[in-house]
Amino acid sequence: MKVLGIDTSGYANAIGIVDDGTVIVDFIQDARTDSLEKIVANIDDALKSVRLNLDDIDGIGVGLGPGSWTGIRIGVTVGKILAFSTGKPVAGVPTLDALAYQVRNRETPLLAVISMGAGDNVYAACYRSEKDTVLRTGDYYVGSAGGMADLIEERTVIVGEEAEKYLRILHGKADSITEAVPDVPRGAAVAALAARRLKNEDSDDALALSPLYLKESTARAYQDQYRGRGG
Amino acid sequence: MLFMGIETSCDETAAAVVADGREVLSSVIAAQLDLLQKYGGVVPEVAARRHTELIGYVIKEALEKAGKSLDDIDAIAVTARQGLIGCLLVGVAAAKSLSYARNLPLIGIHHIEGHIFASILSNPEITMPHICLTVSGGHTMLLKVQDYCRYELLGTTLDDAAGEAFDKIAKYLGMGFPGGPAIDCLAGEGSPKAFRFPRPLLRAGNLDFSFSGLKTAIINTFKEQVARRENLPLSDIAASFQEAVVEVLVNKTVRAALDSGIDVISVTGGVAANSRLREALREEAQRKGLQVYFPRLSLCTDNGAMIAAAGYARYSRGEKANINLKVLPNAPLEEPCG
Repeated sequence: MKVLGIDTSGYANAIGIVDDGTVIVDFIQDARTDSLEKIVANIDDALKSVRLNLDDIDGIGVGLGPGSWTGIRIGVTVGKILAFSTGKPVAGVPTLDALAYQVRNRETPLLAVISMGAGDNVYAACYRSEKDTVLRTGDYYVGSAGGMADLIEERTVIVGEEAEKYLRILHGKADSITEAVPDVPRGAAVAALAARRLKNEDSDDALALSPLYLKESTARAYQDQYRGRGG
Repeated sequence: MLFMGIETSCDETAAAVVADGREVLSSVIAAQLDLLQKYGGVVPEVAARRHTELIGYVIKEALEKAGKSLDDIDAIAVTARQGLIGCLLVGVAAAKSLSYARNLPLIGIHHIEGHIFASILSNPEITMPHICLTVSGGHTMLLKVQDYCRYELLGTTLDDAAGEAFDKIAKYLGMGFPGGPAIDCLAGEGSPKAFRFPRPLLRAGNLDFSFSGLKTAIINTFKEQVARRENLPLSDIAASFQEAVVEVLVNKTVRAALDSGIDVISVTGGVAANSRLREALREEAQRKGLQVYFPRLSLCTDNGAMIAAAGYARYSRGEKANINLKVLPNAPLEEPCG
């Protein structure tokens, strides 16, 4: 079973293909200015690099975020419309799950972290390894990098593009962090996690597929705050 | 030849199936009215999120209403220029995915060119060249349409778009959003002569527009009326405001036609639905011996059908975009979208 995985939650287009558990493509196109306009071409390049075309693919995995709001919208739109126009099944994968999966099979807990852009705010979640995959062990965290200290109770591996920076920020608890693994979410991890779901005939309704923003848009947040004041 | 047109440049998620650039087989428009009313306008991030939720359903429904499947579609046209970038990106990502998965030609369209085709689509008898007034919440533009896909800009707004003035005044008067239909309706009960509001740039020698000062004049009048604690003549304010906007639009559009010696006028965009504009321009055009055309009401606001029709015209000229089609918030109208 060949599964295509895409993730556009960061400043790169991550595309991967797994074939029955084997990674055959894991491709990162870093093009900060216009990467989102190239996503479909990048998918074509990834397929062609292993002499495949879209028809050869059995299912599609999409990184849902969190991450760049515009980025995850485009990844989800491409995933849902590719699935709709080919009739292939699609499975959404939280991007933090993919990131944690990239450091799976460790005895210690895992902390996957995605930067929110400006400032030190992050999206994060804790995982533990289980049977060659990962399981999320708590709620998603949205807040300051320093606040992640509350998520760490024992020796932990931290993974994310800026893992080393967070290691420094959490330095009071640094003893608990055994390792910082700088890595970005990968298409192959999204594909692998999607393949696990698709193998169990667990797919998503393509048309209903939605990004995992984890944060209200500013307008909505502002309005709720306004309401909260009785305005 | 069957074109699917996709449009997400602002707050309408729209898709349509059009045969040979002429016959609308379906046109599905999901307007974000609930969000507009909640926020009093278009919030780009909120609109883009809604486009992502709806785009697949809208495409599917456009096919179903046309009685077609994707196998029947020959090409995909999508708005790639002029609009909110985050919103444009969603429609373009969907169009590229369809084009790639089904091996269909992709054509990028400038949003304003779409509006020009809304009128042509509704009135196939429109001849070239003609004068086109595009007037909506985002644009107020007078163009000479020399031929299909060949345009000359004659005048544009220096500040607010006419539809934007309608929206802002309606919001100020507490009539909700979008403001055009609300003012049109309320104006019907008032006197257009109750207040003499300014006619901005009416006597200027050019074909440009300005609506920002008019908006201020209305707000000042409203405040004066409130201060005098008179019974607020909201319908009179609405009617007099609408009359001022319509007079300027009609005057300049007719002048553009007479100056260029062209006797055919077409009006497009959301404000083309305004009943007073339709009436006043028809009267004036008749007096001057000009032909005037409006789109069907369903094609006035943003829709996919006009994009499909423009796509057909561009494709017939041998134009097509590549899979890296760029999205631009602002771009010249005539240049092909690559």
